[in-house]
Formats: sequence, structure tokens, C-alpha cells
Amino acid sequence: MKLNKLLTVTALAASGMMIVSCSSRQVTRVNTDETIDISGSWNNSDSRMAAEELTKNILSASWISNHQEDHQGKKPVVIVGFVQNKSHEHIDAETFVKDIESSFIQTQKVRLVQGGKKREELRAEKADQQLNSSTSTIKKFGLENGADYILQGSINSIVDAHKRQKVVYYQVNLELTNIQTNEVVWIGEKKIAKYVKN
Amino acid sequence: MKRNLVIISSLLLGALYASTACAQQTGLAPDQNPRYQESQDRYLMVADSLTSQQGTTVQDTYKAYDWYEAKLERRAQRRNWRHEERMNNSYYSDFYPSLSFGSSYYPYGGYYGGRNNLWFGW
Repeated sequence: MKLNKLLTVTALAASGMMIVSCSSRQVTRVNTDETIDISGSWNNSDSRMAAEELTKNILSASWISNHQEDHQGKKPVVIVGFVQNKSHEHIDAETFVKDIESSFIQTQKVRLVQGGKKREELRAEKADQQLNSSTSTIKKFGLENGADYILQGSINSIVDAHKRQKVVYYQVNLELTNIQTNEVVWIGEKKIAKYVKN
Repeated sequence: MKRNLVIISSLLLGALYASTACAQQTGLAPDQNPRYQESQDRYLMVADSLTSQQGTTVQDTYKAYDWYEAKLERRAQRRNWRHEERMNNSYYSDFYPSLSFGSSYYPYGGYYGGRNNLWFGW
């Protein structure tokens, strides 16, 4: 009896595996610049569009030259704060904020300092060096670059849906604030609207 | 003699106070609020927690009403309810197969009975 049951279960499992293996899944590498809309939700194309627009705006705005005029030609130092996602979807702003950070470094117009958890890790490493590194290679505390500006942002959305039709509007805002004076020196925005029909 | 001592000590104290106040004044940047220290002390205590999310995205999402998605959700919920009703119905419960082989926590045919289990001929 037991052998009979065992055989039945084995047959069931084997047929299940065969069904799974026979399903026709196909994976194709695509260009990251290609726009492929599937569900209508926020996707890589939206992130890329936001990054392109915001990077272009932040690097061409007058805050960099104004800073250099006021500080004997020194480049501004920026720290990235947090971005608040207040939209209806899970969106990670790091995908486009990293592109902006990368452009700062590539163009050499703006200097960037670490913040948040990564800065904590750096300080922890420095603390570890005080005990374990050779004296000539110890990095000292208290010599970090202080940021002049902080980059903060928000993502908002509006959804208008009825029956099988939907219009989704996203607004991504980034703003740069002078840490000393709290003066907002630059605001960038990217607006994206989508019409989705199910 | 005693009066002179009082006068001298009060002058000394006055000079000390004046010099302290003067030193504090010179420590300020031009146009800096003289009470800046109060604010600095307050934020020094909480700086770590306030900066821990730097460089991240704080998710503060809302659920948007979408007529079509709500319809699909209602349908899925109805299916789920019907399924659970069937599972709890004693008439159907005996027809579900058991994989327990009689040696588990539910020895005679598993959780859903199994005395009339058609799959294994019980």
C-alpha cells in the first residue's frame, strides 16, 4: 500500500516538473535605452528620462558659477540627502540619483561627499584603523570635507482611472539647498504622464 | 578695610564677567545669532538618526484607486473565499488527497480526513 502511494506521488511530482520545464519562457537582452512598456508602472525608461533631464538642468544652472564667484573659484561640495517617494508605486530614486552623482564626478564641476550609512561605514573603518593600521597609514578623524549643499527630493503621483482607462502623472522634484544659509539654489523637475488602457 | 575688600572683589568680578562676555562676542561670526549654541546642542543629540537615511528613498506611498485593478482584486477575493468555503465544507473535504502516509501528526489520512479518499483507495 505504502509503495503504491509513493509511486503515485512520484508520478505526480515528475509530471509537474515536466510541465514546468516545457513552458516556453524566452529571455532576450535588450538595449537599456529602449523603451518597453508592459504594465504602465514606473520603469527603467522613466528613470532614465528623469536622470537625463535632471542631470542636464543641474549642471547647466547658475548655482555652480555663483558658488565659484563667492568662494575664490572653489568647486561646490554636495551631499545627497534622502528622496521621499510619495507616489502610489514603489519607486527607488537611487536609479536616477546615482546617474546625477556620476555626472558630478565625470564632469568634475561638483565635488561629492558620502552621507548616511556609507559615511557611517567610513567612520567605522577609520576607527578600526586607529587600532589596527600601521601608524604611517592611519587616517585621521576630523578631516572630512564639509558639504556646501544638500540634494533632496520627492516623487509625487496623480492617478485618474475609470473602467479600463488610466492616466498616471508622475512628478519628480530635486532641490539643492545651501547648508549654511538654507537658501534653495536650484530646483529641478521632471514630469511624466502616461495613458494606460487595459 | 572691609569696605575696600568688598569694592575690590566686586570690581574683580565685574572685570571677569565683562571679559567673558567680550570673549563670547568675539567667538561669533558676523551677524551670527548669539543663541546658536542652544540649537547646536539640540541637533548634536539627534544628528545620527536624522542623517541615517541620506542617499536612500523613503517610501511613503499611497494606494491609488484604480477601477480595473479593484475589479480584479474583488474577483480574486471572491475566488479565495469560495475556495476556503469549499475547504471547510465537510462534504468536499473528504475528497482532497492526503500526502501524510499515515505517519504524521494527522495519522489517518491527513488534516482533511481521508477515510473516503478516492486517490489512495481508502
